[in-house]
Amino acid sequence: MMATAAAPPVQEKEYEDWSFLPLVHDILKCMDKDSQDVHQELAKLKSKIQDAREQISNMPGIDCSPVEQQQQLCTLREQVRTKNQLLHKYKGLCMFDVPKAS
Amino acid sequence: MATAAEKSTKERLVSALDDLEVLSRELIEMLALSRNQKLPQPGEDVKVLELLVQRDREFQDLMATAQSQGKVHDEMQQLEKEVEKRDSDIQQLQKQLKEAEHILATAVYQAKEKLKSIDKARKGSVSSEELIKYAHRISASNAVCAPLNWVPGDPRRPYPTDLEMRSGMLGLMANLPTNGVNGHLPGDALAAGRLPDVLTPHYPWQSSDVSVGMLPPHHGSDLGLEPPGHNKENEEDVENMSTDSSSSSSDSD
Repeated sequence: MMATAAAPPVQEKEYEDWSFLPLVHDILKCMDKDSQDVHQELAKLKSKIQDAREQISNMPGIDCSPVEQQQQLCTLREQVRTKNQLLHKYKGLCMFDVPKAS
Repeated sequence: MATAAEKSTKERLVSALDDLEVLSRELIEMLALSRNQKLPQPGEDVKVLELLVQRDREFQDLMATAQSQGKVHDEMQQLEKEVEKRDSDIQQLQKQLKEAEHILATAVYQAKEKLKSIDKARKGSVSSEELIKYAHRISASNAVCAPLNWVPGDPRRPYPTDLEMRSGMLGLMANLPTNGVNGHLPGDALAAGRLPDVLTPHYPWQSSDVSVGMLPPHHGSDLGLEPPGHNKENEEDVENMSTDSSSSSSDSD
């Protein structure tokens, strides 16, 4: 039910999954009704917060800000492009062409 | 904003989650208290609720950002693998270029040495006519190759034989009477036919009727150290001796 970093479900569903307001609303409703389910709802909220913490610690690529990550991505792309160009240049370079007599 | 931008997404997520936990707990406690007694600050629960809603929205946005960062991270890992592969290819190419450079350097060095040898040979060149002339001179005495009509038993040799030496100037000098005694072996003078009787050596194989005067002149082709009575045997011996002495040349022929 909890969306993981490896499995990409629909983004809207993930967006809603990470909202704690429905659980808080359920808790407040139970308190108004003096229901015995208050404790159960409180446990759910605690559990969801704990799951969120664990998922945050396991998510890859969030050790830097989005801006820094984009810079790193651009750098990597530039490296790949430069190395491809270099390899293409040296593999296509024939050093043994005999110059034509003028 | 600047400080928020510097923080990593993970730090912001953890901060937002902590705020959500605190705010939700505070809201629940405030509502629980409000059922029994009045709130010390009216409207505070509304503020807390607004903050909760705001932090919840921020948390959801941050989670969406984290999801997209995860996809970018996957792409970055692919790019890093590609970079490693390119580095490996470049190192391999570098290694091959170094080997080629070494081979070419060796070839160029050897070519330069060859050119030096060619220049040196050109400076000290010898006319082919002179070489052929010297080759003829060397070959004229049959010293490098046997004559075409040479057969085993032929007394000719590529070096002066004993008989040829005796018939030469040195042999003539040895036959002079004044010089026949001093420094010469008795056998030589006997072979030349000029030795006095008192100096005649007595070999076991000599017969009693041998006289010096009866010996043939030293210019004979079958001369040996033996008296005429043994000429035939001596000829054979000389022949064998000559043959034996030059056996290496005979064998080589």
